[in-house]
Amino acid sequence: MVSATKQVPEPSGPEDAREPGVPAAKAPEHTDALAAELARLPFRARIWRRRGIIVGLRVARLVTIGLRRLLPALRYLGKSLQRRWRRSLQFRTVLTTLMLAVTSFGAVGAYLSNQIANNLFQERLTQAESETRYNVKQVQDTFDGAQVTDQSSVITLVYDTLNAVEGRGSVIQRRYVFEAMPEQTKPRNRWVESRASDQLTVSVIPPELRKAVQESGKDQYWASTVIPVGTEDRPGIAVGNKVTFNGTVYELYLIYDLNTAQQTLDEIQGVLLAGGAVLVLMIGAIAWYVTRNVVSPVSHAALVSEKLAAGQLQERMVVKGEDEVARLGASFNHMAASLQEQITQLATLSQMQQRFVSDVSHELRTPLTTVRMAAEVLYDARHDFDPINKRSAELLYNQVERFQSLLADLLEISRFDAGVAMLDAEPEDILQVIAHVIEGAAPVAAEYGSEIILRAPAEGIVAEMDARRIDRILRNLILNAVEHGEGKPVIVTVAANQSAVGIAVRDQGIGMTPAEAARVFDRFWRADPARARTTGGSGLGLSIAMEDTKLHNGWLQAWGKKGSGANFRLTIPLRQGEEIERSPVQLEPEEIILPGVPQENRMVVVAPGPAVPVSASAASVGQSGAAATPKESS
Amino acid sequence: MKARILVVDDDEALAEMIGIVLRNDGFDPVFCADGGQALDIFRSSKPDLVLLDLMLPGVDGIEVCRQIRAESDVPIVMLTAKSDTSDVVRGLESGADDYVPKPFKPAELVARVRARLRPGDQKAPETLRIADITIDVAGHTVKRSDERISLTPLEFDLLVALARKPWQVFTRELLLEQVWGYRHAADTRLVNVHVQRLRSKIERDPEAPEVVLTVRGVGYKAGS
Repeated sequence: MVSATKQVPEPSGPEDAREPGVPAAKAPEHTDALAAELARLPFRARIWRRRGIIVGLRVARLVTIGLRRLLPALRYLGKSLQRRWRRSLQFRTVLTTLMLAVTSFGAVGAYLSNQIANNLFQERLTQAESETRYNVKQVQDTFDGAQVTDQSSVITLVYDTLNAVEGRGSVIQRRYVFEAMPEQTKPRNRWVESRASDQLTVSVIPPELRKAVQESGKDQYWASTVIPVGTEDRPGIAVGNKVTFNGTVYELYLIYDLNTAQQTLDEIQGVLLAGGAVLVLMIGAIAWYVTRNVVSPVSHAALVSEKLAAGQLQERMVVKGEDEVARLGASFNHMAASLQEQITQLATLSQMQQRFVSDVSHELRTPLTTVRMAAEVLYDARHDFDPINKRSAELLYNQVERFQSLLADLLEISRFDAGVAMLDAEPEDILQVIAHVIEGAAPVAAEYGSEIILRAPAEGIVAEMDARRIDRILRNLILNAVEHGEGKPVIVTVAANQSAVGIAVRDQGIGMTPAEAARVFDRFWRADPARARTTGGSGLGLSIAMEDTKLHNGWLQAWGKKGSGANFRLTIPLRQGEEIERSPVQLEPEEIILPGVPQENRMVVVAPGPAVPVSASAASVGQSGAAATPKESS
Repeated sequence: MKARILVVDDDEALAEMIGIVLRNDGFDPVFCADGGQALDIFRSSKPDLVLLDLMLPGVDGIEVCRQIRAESDVPIVMLTAKSDTSDVVRGLESGADDYVPKPFKPAELVARVRARLRPGDQKAPETLRIADITIDVAGHTVKRSDERISLTPLEFDLLVALARKPWQVFTRELLLEQVWGYRHAADTRLVNVHVQRLRSKIERDPEAPEVVLTVRGVGYKAGS
């Protein structure tokens, strides 16, 4: 084959690669974008684009309306997806796998469909070229051998020849456009007019192709085009060449329908798409299954260990097989078992111990009662004794008293340890309780020569509390402060906020170091072992106070500084079951308030002498609501 | 005439010691060491007051208390080695008027005994009303319309104290002082338990009391 068919060059564009163009030397330089595009996905593209725009607009409108309504739901969905992404390994893995699979299938699918389209097109083109060459030769031969006698026979000859060209194609339905070339130097054959198959006109031939055919010699050119068939437009290839009849040059274009190729391509693309979608779904399912197999034992382990931590010691992992996960489960269960054993052992031990202490205390009480009564009878009669017996009776009496208070504290602690202490909470005015305690402590304070100053709001503060226990805590704190206050005043500050009431008991005695303050609630702990016994007390007082506070879900804290005294702060919630946000009084005092310095807040002073509360500063009763953190009162 | 006191306690030493203290203070003690015989001895000795140990061999103190209370209004004071709320409450609910936790001082015991033995003030004829309850103070009777309600002397005293001053809110401490006769604060649970018992007898619906009202954060008052 000497003359290769030359393609009319495409406009340069991103899809140039699809065109199996062999650029012709004589190809026209001028190109047309539309024609080129139509060559590829000819026509459907146009329709689809139009449909796409319409559908797109509708969808956009729907989406805007929907979004406006669904926005909160979408936001929630987005948030929950984000949350799952963060919290679920499985979800993350499956999603990532899916996204990667979609991307790679997209790339592979695009490549494959591109290749297939190229091959299909190339095949049809080759076929079209060879058929055209053959047919053009046939036509030319027929024309050359024709007898030009009269008009009608000529016309018949030409039309018969052209009709023979049409529809003789085996696979492709072939049509033609037969057009006299314009601007010929020779006089035209007037008998033979331009002609075309049904529905076709010369306008379906791209101008570039015509130009190329017109300007060439005997070369064959092709271009993609769109042809109307029935009511629809179809993609096609137009291959053009020149024929001469009776001295007149005509352009003869044969047009091949690419519809079957396009359909094949569509089918293949459909299959690719469906196959890709199925594959992606399968990969997603596989990823889900695999990660579930790996992740579910881990999340099971997490669940079980949470339950273990929450105290459900009998929880175990389910162990299946012998793989790594099973080994994890087995060793986890082993750990849980030994943990459970030890905890149970400890619990039993501590229960036995508590039971023992409690029993001992109870058993001791009856004989102790007898001893105590007897001691008191002897003590009351001591004036009738000689000095030795008298002193003995006194010692007996005092030590029995001490023994009894120790036993009482021990029993109280054992009750807390056994977990049988119950909170008997009722709403009561805490100021009344405090006033009562201060009244009771006044004689002791008088003995030590110190006074107790109460700084409190004028209105009562009603809190849900077990007044007996609060009374005990406060008595303990205040008596402690008096005993360690070295005769300096003890300041009791009370304040409340929305959630809690706070009571601070401040002494200005020898104080204690922060390390001591941290240990002060330990059982039988004494800051100075050499000193302590004289002040009596069992060494359990603050421990009991701490337990009482815990029953109230409250805080009991100590602050101390060597040389500047100590501050104990009790905070309890106003309503049981509610959390304390912060204490209304300060734990760390910022200054020392000396007696006699006028205070802005209302004070009730319990002087060492009379045990009657006296309002000291009448001037500011009105603003007493703003009570009394040490900071505010400076 | 000496007041006779029945001491029900299985611990001989303690019983003897209590006997010494009581005799010393001019009472006439009678002893019983076994819960099973307590009721018989109670019937034969007709004491003015019973001191009852909560833990007894045989029939326990709570049962004894119930038996005695079933046939007599005589004051019962419990001696208890346990001071758990539940035990105390159980004892009081079974009919005891008061309790003394071990170990106690002789003076404390005697004070409690005397408080319970206080001769009822010679009451002037007086009729009080709370809600739909009528109280005849001198006749020692309480009625709802014509139906008579039986109360122990302590419950009666409690109701009368509230009814005499219907405008006043009584704190638990004040009630302890007026009804039990304690000058120093004792356990306010006594008041709670007895108010519950009183309500269970005189209220139509003890869950929604109309006669003895609770004033949150303060105490109790009579209904109008």
